[in-house]
Amino acid sequence: MAKPLMLPAHSLLWHYFWLAPHILQVALAFLMWRRGLHSLFGVFFAYLIFEAFEEFTLYGLDIAPAVSGETFWRAFCVGLIVEGFIKIGVIGELFYHLLRPWPAIAKVGSRLVTGTGAVLVLLASLAAALVVPDNNHWLISGSHILQQTFYIVDCGLLALLFSFTAYFKLAWNYRILGIAVGLAILACEHLGTWAVMANGGLLGQRHFLDLLNMATYHVCVLIWFYYLLVPQKTPTTSAVSLPENNLAIWNRELERLLQQ
Amino acid sequence: MNLAVVLVIAAVVALSVILRLAVTQSLQLKGSSGLDVSIRPIDIEAFRNLINPAEDEYLRRRLPPAQFRTVRRERLRAMAAYVQVANHNAAVLIRVGEAALAGRDGRVAEAAQLMVADALLLRRNATVAVARIYLALAWPGSEFAAVRVVERYEQLSGTAMLLGRLQNPGAAVRLSASR
Repeated sequence: MAKPLMLPAHSLLWHYFWLAPHILQVALAFLMWRRGLHSLFGVFFAYLIFEAFEEFTLYGLDIAPAVSGETFWRAFCVGLIVEGFIKIGVIGELFYHLLRPWPAIAKVGSRLVTGTGAVLVLLASLAAALVVPDNNHWLISGSHILQQTFYIVDCGLLALLFSFTAYFKLAWNYRILGIAVGLAILACEHLGTWAVMANGGLLGQRHFLDLLNMATYHVCVLIWFYYLLVPQKTPTTSAVSLPENNLAIWNRELERLLQQ
Repeated sequence: MNLAVVLVIAAVVALSVILRLAVTQSLQLKGSSGLDVSIRPIDIEAFRNLINPAEDEYLRRRLPPAQFRTVRRERLRAMAAYVQVANHNAAVLIRVGEAALAGRDGRVAEAAQLMVADALLLRRNATVAVARIYLALAWPGSEFAAVRVVERYEQLSGTAMLLGRLQNPGAAVRLSASR
């Protein structure tokens, strides 16, 4: 949430979008803990708690008249660095859950993640170097560039996650899919808005971009709520037998192999 | 601002791809998209011939270099087609195996686990093999062997047969009778 050095009066919608998703996050974390899901998705659980704590702190700093703009932006920067690393940890956790049952491709997967991560960091650094600062205050422009950098890496890793599982036809667990979809929507939308902000776009309409970010976050929290807490419907086809015509083909191939 | 436009376009493309894949996966989870189980047969003997280094060596000795390169390229293209079919069959079996994993029969689930692991390995090897075949197309004189793909395919045949027998004992009886 981009706070200018002078505090403007915020609308009711602004307050709602800033606070509501994080109140829901705390509720989600509590319900995850009650259902024992916190041990299954430990990093995501930590992310929910940290994100809520970070946003409540920033909100407090934003509305407190005694707090200077610089103090707010310092806290904002520290928060986004910690949050950025936790989010990368959440993506790692998703990869771990998807690859754990299949050691055959776990090694390839982990090498691919490491390699892609390194390339993304290089690309994000290059993009950061090309940015013309949008604000005279280094803390503000720096935090915008940092956001852009983290979201380039997040977006790339999440695209890899979905492409990898689609290529290998791996089955998603319902909850893992929900966490990944929420994170992906968040990362892609935030990458777009922070890229515009970091590069000095839409200078007069920044509050719309902030609102868009907050509204997207709200939607993502609701997605996590749905996928983590609403029980999954039992699939209509729990097991599929190999059809007989395919069996016949395999039989023929096997016979051919046996005769060699 | 140009950079912002590039990043916004990249974000939109990434989101579209991710959501498309997520919707496909979600439909699979709900079991509403029927499994497209169409395995394409592979002539293993012809495949083995294609990847046999002795055959290549024979052609290299018998043919003039230019003609050898042409023939070798044709053989590599055929090899790529075989590997891609094997790759496709592995993908079909991964989905069949994953659906079978949900079953209550422990033996079926165990066989399915084994088959999916084999199919994943085949898919991994086939991907590398296809990349190497296309590289070899640029240098037809270089050495290349797709032996691991064939071996993995044979192993996958075995595990698929095992799962097929467990899921469909009647078919296994017919197999025995036909032998």
